[in-house]
Amino acid sequence: MDIRVLRPSDIPLIQHANIENLPENYFLKYYLYHALSWPQLSYVAVDVSRPRKTPYDYPKIVGYVLAKMEEEPADGVQHGHITSLSVMRTHRRLGIAEKLMRQSQLAMVETFGAHYVSLHVRVSNNAAIHLYRDTLGFKTEKTEAKYYADGEDAYCMKLELSFIRESLHEGPRAIVAADKDDAEKAKGDDEDGAAAEAGEDVDEGEAVGDVGRDPDAKKSAPKKKKEEVKIKVGRGLGVGELVEKNEAKHS
Amino acid sequence: MPQPLSTREANLFRTVIRHYEDKQYKRGLKAAEQILKKNPKHADTMSMKALIMNAQGKTDEAFALAKEALTIDMKSHICWHVYGILYRTNKNFDEAIKAYKFALKLEPDSQQIQRDLAILQIQMRDYQGYVQSRLVMLKARPQLRQNWTALAIAYHLEGNLKQAETILSTFEKSVTTAPSKTDFENSEAVLYKNSIIAEAGDIGRALEHLEADGNNNLDRLAVMELRARYLAQLGRGADAAKAYRALLDRNSEHPDYYKSLIEALGISKDDEDSQKAVYDEYAVKNPRSDAARRLPLDFLTDENFKVAARAYLNLMFDKGVPSTFANLKHLYSDSFKQTTLPALAEEYLNEHKSTGGEKEHANGDSSKGEGAALYFLAQHYNYFMSRDLTKAMAFVEKALELDPKNVDFHMTKARIYKHQGDLEKASVAMDEARSLDTRDRYINSKAAKYQLRNNENDRALQTMGLFTRVETAGGPLADLIDMQCIWYLTEDGEAWQRRGNVGLALKRYHTIFNIFDIWQEDQFDFHSFSLRKGQIRAYIDMVRWEDELREHPFFFRAALDAIKLYIAMHDKPQGPNGVNGTGGSGANGGDVAEKKKAAKKAKKEAQKAEREAAEKAAKQDPNKTTAPKSKDVEDVKKKDDDPTGLKLVATSDPLGDALKFLGPLLQFSPRNIEGQIAGFEVYFRRRKYMLALRCLKAALALDKDDPRVQEQAVRLRKAVDPVLASLAPKLQEVIGLTFASGASS
Repeated sequence: MDIRVLRPSDIPLIQHANIENLPENYFLKYYLYHALSWPQLSYVAVDVSRPRKTPYDYPKIVGYVLAKMEEEPADGVQHGHITSLSVMRTHRRLGIAEKLMRQSQLAMVETFGAHYVSLHVRVSNNAAIHLYRDTLGFKTEKTEAKYYADGEDAYCMKLELSFIRESLHEGPRAIVAADKDDAEKAKGDDEDGAAAEAGEDVDEGEAVGDVGRDPDAKKSAPKKKKEEVKIKVGRGLGVGELVEKNEAKHS
Repeated sequence: MPQPLSTREANLFRTVIRHYEDKQYKRGLKAAEQILKKNPKHADTMSMKALIMNAQGKTDEAFALAKEALTIDMKSHICWHVYGILYRTNKNFDEAIKAYKFALKLEPDSQQIQRDLAILQIQMRDYQGYVQSRLVMLKARPQLRQNWTALAIAYHLEGNLKQAETILSTFEKSVTTAPSKTDFENSEAVLYKNSIIAEAGDIGRALEHLEADGNNNLDRLAVMELRARYLAQLGRGADAAKAYRALLDRNSEHPDYYKSLIEALGISKDDEDSQKAVYDEYAVKNPRSDAARRLPLDFLTDENFKVAARAYLNLMFDKGVPSTFANLKHLYSDSFKQTTLPALAEEYLNEHKSTGGEKEHANGDSSKGEGAALYFLAQHYNYFMSRDLTKAMAFVEKALELDPKNVDFHMTKARIYKHQGDLEKASVAMDEARSLDTRDRYINSKAAKYQLRNNENDRALQTMGLFTRVETAGGPLADLIDMQCIWYLTEDGEAWQRRGNVGLALKRYHTIFNIFDIWQEDQFDFHSFSLRKGQIRAYIDMVRWEDELREHPFFFRAALDAIKLYIAMHDKPQGPNGVNGTGGSGANGGDVAEKKKAAKKAKKEAQKAEREAAEKAAKQDPNKTTAPKSKDVEDVKKKDDDPTGLKLVATSDPLGDALKFLGPLLQFSPRNIEGQIAGFEVYFRRRKYMLALRCLKAALALDKDDPRVQEQAVRLRKAVDPVLASLAPKLQEVIGLTFASGASS
């Protein structure tokens, strides 16, 4: 197993893992949108034990977390959001989902100054709820009725990331001069992990996953800046659907 | 020259544009008609009307109208711009670029046209053109950092690293106030510049730059990784080791960090103990780290291996981790490890059989460890390197006795049936596994896959339909196509091919081909998007990945299937729907009349299927008119005019059609011998002997002992011998050499 940050070339097999595991699916462009907007936030678990079959094998993705920053937070507070998380059934019970989540959370704070991270989870998905609540420390904010396409409700969950922010402030921020301090600090993070270990047997028996309601969930694409151009004939095609739908909604 | 309009109509013209942009096509058309009523030859309005019609899917009419508009007003940049857009949306990018260039000549200051042109140039990888466009755009608005970055990107992709760096530095120098720490664009620009320095090979300077400008960078992980790598490359072992330790403290599941740390520490590859000590350190630090415990199994030998493997297996079995075998099977290339691992599993079983009760408190499941060990052994004997299917079945049955409703155990049972060659039993068993956990899509997907392997296309689609979106018009298949579910389309196509339904098989392969077109097209919007977002390194990664997009095994498999099927169609042209798709040349006669009858019947069936599909589609239309409401726009989804692939089957030139798949196959995966072999078969049949020879040479270079390649060499020789004398001497020489190398084995 190798847990590392997502690369664009991973995307076809991330999409494959997603549609294999979860009912909420997206077309490739939506993954690209994540990978090119917040490349630091999404992580993959790669099966490095597979023998090569052809000279063109791609790393086999057995788990992934697809994450983003909320672009226009309703509460005005910078925060991250988990779009989708799943681990192949063949690779469960190794704590992969937890490890993916922790990497993503750290990057949300470091890179984008996130104060908290939110997600949606099916109310029936006990394994995922156990991971989020007991292992990672998420709190249930509210229930969103009929959030999923099949009519199931979602818990809206939230995790304050102040514990990461604080541990970052403790040591000097400088990366170069402070290897040692970094090490100490990161250890502190691990202790957090140890505390969560009460739930030792994090059961990933079910695919843990969550997504926005809309598989065409391109709604949160950034707004195009208005430009003063005499004739904007090509705009619709140049900027593309990511933006168009958003604007259509606002108009 | 734009024709003047009255104020009222000029306003109307603006609303046409706005409606178009908002995808309010009907309203847009209405407004355009109003203008045209008074000014029937107003070229710009005609062009806009064409643009809207194109968006509605009326491509041919749109082109005709746009052309007419152009003949009326050759000097209108709007007409040329629209003409370019029409070409662009119909994926004729070269013509689109030409049209944009005309438009730009007429309206050199239009930033809109310039930008559209630039995006197309980078999409088409016209780097020189892109550099020129970005230069113009930078000159027009030098105050925007984006424009500097974009020019640097253009130089970078063109291969001019020095110039790229210079451009970035020039902007940096022009900034007088220090950028804020949270200025993401700046933070990323620093790392982008650093990546260019490193790419140019100057690691020393890259490290210097990183240490000077990289502190406080917002992408902390990237800085830490780059720095560690540079230190290692520069031979600064002690510093590199420190840097890799810091990385391991962040993420102890990344094998590269361990390997790099061990290298940086100067530990020899033969020194098992010292290597192991490094991993042990992190195993202690991170009680839940898998990598620190498992990776040493890769290099440990003999007794050392046995001890470590025992500890690892015991831990995994106690936890009941089902993925244990999957994570160890790569060790089987070592015969000692291959025999040791199952022996250890048996050992564990013997120890735990009788003492099952003691763990009850911890896990609430006393049989977990035993089940996991049995499961491991079942997989061991099911694995191709250590296969004994009788034993495999015995172990999985034992595991099932312990836990009759375990999905993983049932899944493995199905897999064992598959390896026994009993696809029907396998399909039934996998469906049983599915029924034990109907909320898990993974097992649902597997059940569908096994149904397809057993040629049960309809049932498989039903199974898939348990998880596809209900709202999608066109049912589960439409949803799977929308969601680009390549694996399903491939397996479905192959099943249809085995069943002799050439139409549907071709249909699926073409659908996959089209999905790759979409994936290539997907990058289009990001050429501008990424500049706004400022995530330049990720963008560069994407561009480079897109350049190799079709080397993906997903593409290769479907393309190879399609090519083989087209070859079979060529070899047995009389039975369009009755072709036995398994391929291979040398058709032996059979009863011609019988075949014709079968073909006729198949054709009838296919026509019936098409009729039904059409009826079904017609019934769905009412839904369609309500569906767009949710989308707020008049999104026109093009109707599939050949849902069953009849038109694809009706081709008079199957080998010509195969070229569409063969081209990218040979271009992007030349080192895959299967592609070269298929290429030979196509070119040989088309009597393109030089091209066939090229494939043959490539295949020989990959594996000169492959009997298929040997046979091809003989076949080609026979075919060209009679004409060899008439060929140019140079050609004779090349051909002679190839045959010599082929025969030498």
